Amino acid sequence: MIRIKNLEFRYAADSTPVLRSVDAQVGDGQYVAVIGPNGCGKTTLAKHLNGLLTPMSGDVWVDDMNTRDTASLRDIRRVVGMVFQNPDSQIVGMTVEEDLAFGPGNLRLPAADIRERVEESLRTVGLAGYEKRPTHTLSGGEKRLVAIAGVLAMRPRYIVFDEPTSFLDPAGKRRILNVIRKLNQSGMAIIHVTHDMDEIVESGLVLVMTAGRIELAGSPAEVLGRVETLKAMGLGPPQVTELMWRLRRSGQDVREGIMTIEEAVKEISSLVDRKTISCGDGAHPGV
Amino acid sequence: MFHLGQYIPRPSVVHGLDPRVKIFTTLLVSMTILRADPPKAAVLSLFLLVGAWAARLSLRDIGTALRPLVFFFVFLFLLHLFFTDGRPLVPAFPAVTVEGFARGLITTWQFMALVACAALLTMTTTPSELISGIERLLRPLRAVRISSHDFAVMVSMAIRFVPTLLLEFDRLRDAQLSRGADFREGTVPERLKKVSSLAAVLVLQTVQRADDLAQAMDGRGYARGSRTYLKELKMGYADYTVMIFALAFVAVLYVFPF
Repeated sequence: MIRIKNLEFRYAADSTPVLRSVDAQVGDGQYVAVIGPNGCGKTTLAKHLNGLLTPMSGDVWVDDMNTRDTASLRDIRRVVGMVFQNPDSQIVGMTVEEDLAFGPGNLRLPAADIRERVEESLRTVGLAGYEKRPTHTLSGGEKRLVAIAGVLAMRPRYIVFDEPTSFLDPAGKRRILNVIRKLNQSGMAIIHVTHDMDEIVESGLVLVMTAGRIELAGSPAEVLGRVETLKAMGLGPPQVTELMWRLRRSGQDVREGIMTIEEAVKEISSLVDRKTISCGDGAHPGV
Repeated sequence: MFHLGQYIPRPSVVHGLDPRVKIFTTLLVSMTILRADPPKAAVLSLFLLVGAWAARLSLRDIGTALRPLVFFFVFLFLLHLFFTDGRPLVPAFPAVTVEGFARGLITTWQFMALVACAALLTMTTTPSELISGIERLLRPLRAVRISSHDFAVMVSMAIRFVPTLLLEFDRLRDAQLSRGADFREGTVPERLKKVSSLAAVLVLQTVQRADDLAQAMDGRGYARGSRTYLKELKMGYADYTVMIFALAFVAVLYVFPF
């Protein structure tokens, strides 16, 4: 379990705090989404989880290790892996297999074990057969997957993803999100940092951050139900959520907590079947 | 990009040899080349040709390594041809001597052979194999507290970032071009100034990237000193054979009075 207690952080002693009294927990196998507008402190929080940053005050514990304790940093980083936003600054190898071998090599594993981990993590991200590819010839999406595989080769129990889908096309995004879901299903705890509301639906717990604080915490349905609050924070709810919210606001009898297109289609169809569509403000008769 | 002796993947015996054997043989043969007289030069040329044949490299492949240096080879030859004292080759041109011609030939051959020899190494060995070979050869330096592992990580990372930095440079230049910058116009100092502003941004970005990279490496458990590798080098039957043959070849070349 990762426990964050009253965490405060600023980059310089006299600057404004980036994180203010943050409290949170991530259990084994849990999927936690951290969402917030740019500059709210998401990435700074993420970097505290494996001791890349040390709290100004407050504490972060990974299992029973405090990230302030430099002697346990190596162990902490074996338990909590981190995938950064830009794959180009985390791929160190000239070829895919050399890059994936970097972490296990640091753990001083014998060559046969390194090979096993390389193959296994490539299979997990769906890049089997890419071993000999030079890393600079990969597409943006493939580089992300290699960066994820590089962290998987360390066999962590938690992985922190910092905006893993930024700058990717829809197909690339889906590929990454599928890998994250698969990892979580196989028991890996996920901390998914994003500013895209569409990506939090899969998670078990959503932490909404603004200006260095956790403003809102709850299940995706609970958080997405607070459309006004989200809008006030500068976060656009997913289109489906917003559509259902507007329908309800205009007096339609739709239920709360709808997050996926499939659910929305079902709800609207049943509304049409029941012929109970009322014309909200009367401006559009015959909808 | 530079094509000087870049790796060419081919299914050959030479490609499969242990990089340490290839580095060792290259050094050995290079030293022999530098001390060769004409008969030895002929034998060594034959050796290089056989090497290229065994590596399934054509003369054209070797040529790509030599071509960028053609001007240098011609210059070297002319220098010796005109500036060596001795008997005139043709009575009409006393500056051109028989000795100059001979010395020009052998010196130019020496440089061409050296480049070809190095190309044989780099065309049949990937940069990573080369690095792990050098890393293993440098391991004894541990005795003087120099870590060959750190050296290997440093060099491979430097090579890994060459294409990334080139791409970044292109991106920066395009951004400045689209904002009206022109790197082709103006006097040389003016152009240098423009390019140097580009370089400043590139350096800044690289420093930023180095910071991110260091954090990512930390996150993957990097620590200075000992580490293990995906491929541990192991000398095989063919490796010992080639090494013994190379040693014997050079020994015979010096023992035998031609």
